[in-house]
Amino acid sequence: MPANKKYFSSPWQRILKITAGFIGGYILTQSFFMFFIQIYKDAGSLITLQFAGFILWAALLVIAFLAKNGFKIWGLYLLLTAFFALLIYLIP
Amino acid sequence: MSNRIYNILFHTHTISGIIISALLYIIFFTGSIAFLRDEISAWEHNKPIEENYFNTIDFDESLEKLEEGQNLYGRDITFSHRYFEREVNVSMTPSKDSTIIDQNRERLSNYFFMDMESFEKKDYQSNYSLGEFFYRLHFFAQLNFFGRSGYLLSGLVAFFFLFAIITGVLVHWKKIISSFYTFRPGAKWKTIWTDAHVALGMIGLPYQFIFAVTGCYLMIGYSVMLPPVEKYLFPDEPREVAKILNLEEKVDDLEFTYNPIKEDFSINYFAEKTLKKWPDLKLSELKIVNYGDEHMYVKLSGSPGYDESLLDQASQTYRIADGRLIAERSINEPTSYSRGTFNLLRRLHYGDYGGYGLKLIYLVLGFVTCFVILSGVYIWLVARNKKSVSKRKRKFNNWLVTIYTSVCLSLLPITAIIFIVMKVYGESYVAATGGLRKDLIYEVFFWGWLVLSVLFTIKHDNYFTNKFCLILGSFFGILVPITNGIMTGNWIWVSLSKGYTQIFVVDIFWVLLSITAFIAVLRIKKKRSLRPA
Repeated sequence: MPANKKYFSSPWQRILKITAGFIGGYILTQSFFMFFIQIYKDAGSLITLQFAGFILWAALLVIAFLAKNGFKIWGLYLLLTAFFALLIYLIP
Repeated sequence: MSNRIYNILFHTHTISGIIISALLYIIFFTGSIAFLRDEISAWEHNKPIEENYFNTIDFDESLEKLEEGQNLYGRDITFSHRYFEREVNVSMTPSKDSTIIDQNRERLSNYFFMDMESFEKKDYQSNYSLGEFFYRLHFFAQLNFFGRSGYLLSGLVAFFFLFAIITGVLVHWKKIISSFYTFRPGAKWKTIWTDAHVALGMIGLPYQFIFAVTGCYLMIGYSVMLPPVEKYLFPDEPREVAKILNLEEKVDDLEFTYNPIKEDFSINYFAEKTLKKWPDLKLSELKIVNYGDEHMYVKLSGSPGYDESLLDQASQTYRIADGRLIAERSINEPTSYSRGTFNLLRRLHYGDYGGYGLKLIYLVLGFVTCFVILSGVYIWLVARNKKSVSKRKRKFNNWLVTIYTSVCLSLLPITAIIFIVMKVYGESYVAATGGLRKDLIYEVFFWGWLVLSVLFTIKHDNYFTNKFCLILGSFFGILVPITNGIMTGNWIWVSLSKGYTQIFVVDIFWVLLSITAFIAVLRIKKKRSLRPA
């Protein structure tokens, strides 16, 4: 009953996906919530990051494993991070 | 869901689960015990308290006692009743009058406990109890070797637990209803473990999700989530984030003046005043700011009980000099999102909002989760126990599961044993050796746990470990209330009739647990060896 190995990716790809989900997912979570914190600058936005941040991060970790190519998911997460970073930069 | 996605998710569920399994088991087992933290403390020190205890305290006398030891002028003094013990938490800030300098500058010298009947001061160490021990063990406080490494470890375990919950639900999604109703006890071990894992995991799902998220929030919500925010959004204001998150209302224009107060004052008078306005309020905190100064004020907070208000507390703040009410918050006022979230996440994790009925449900679900964790480990083992897997790997898997089983299951007997040891030797150990209660707990619990784990591992028979741990657990478990009866005279029926609810709850908990464990012993039969290899 163990999962069928034929669907698994190479070790190199696996490292890419794990890092994309864990590190990239963390960075994306941060930038997403920072966008709201930059707007509101209040306790509500901070506390939301403190608990809901983990749910989003875990979801991004799951999604990273589903990707076919580790580079693409890293690229996607970084691109989205850059997008939120830009928004944060634009907000005074 | 495509086959590819199913298999990948399934694998991530397995691997994340197996990595955290033993740690998560320890967290859930000790955490379940820690639901009774305050009851266990009261039981161990034989000091039960009555309901609304904080309302009855003579604050004036306790302040007089505090003044004997040091000059209180200019300090902020907080009495808080976070735990339902007779000892109330007292903390003092250094004086705002810079001419008053503390002689004793140890880290916890201005943080201690005070027995509000005898007004005896106790430091943290001498107030230490089994309740505190299990509470702290459930977030690995004992592993804080490098900074807060223990907290970080438990927080990360909670995070991967959250990941395992999400992937587990996704894997089972298609058959989630039918699998829930499937139970094939007569079948192979693999199907028994799978059925149990799925059905119980499903029942406990909301509970487990709550604990994964609130566990992450409480342990690493600040240390993992907020440093980047501080660094990138508030680079020039290092204390800003903490300031925003401080949800306490500020009282304006009451700075420290260096002019001592002229009037005589009584703190009890203000406590009575608040209780007169809200008779069903249960006070839980009393904070005196600028003690003895012209601008001294007192804030009293509490709530009428969590059945009335889950999200927030009521409070009144009085200026002492003219006795005027300067701020007030009633529980009927709407609660802000942040305060509500802050309190709700804690209520959900502590399970203290629904009396003992809810605690019992939480406790049972906690033990059910322990079972879900272990059954998951067994699925992992039996699924890999076939000819296509190399012999070396199978041997490794087998030993790994034996170690897991020994470590996890021996928690039950060693927990019962430590209760008995502390009841019998706790007082005399401190009196005879001058040591700390904590040292005795550490020595007996951790060494005992290690010895049991090693012996069971050497025996290398999971069926034996399971049965023997249940027998030991029920034997020592039933001895816990008996020991308590002999040592203190508070037998179960005595504490019940005298209304010592806290002591009664701990004793009855052990009776129920022992009976359950004993029934389980009678029910298990060795149909097939649990040891596959």
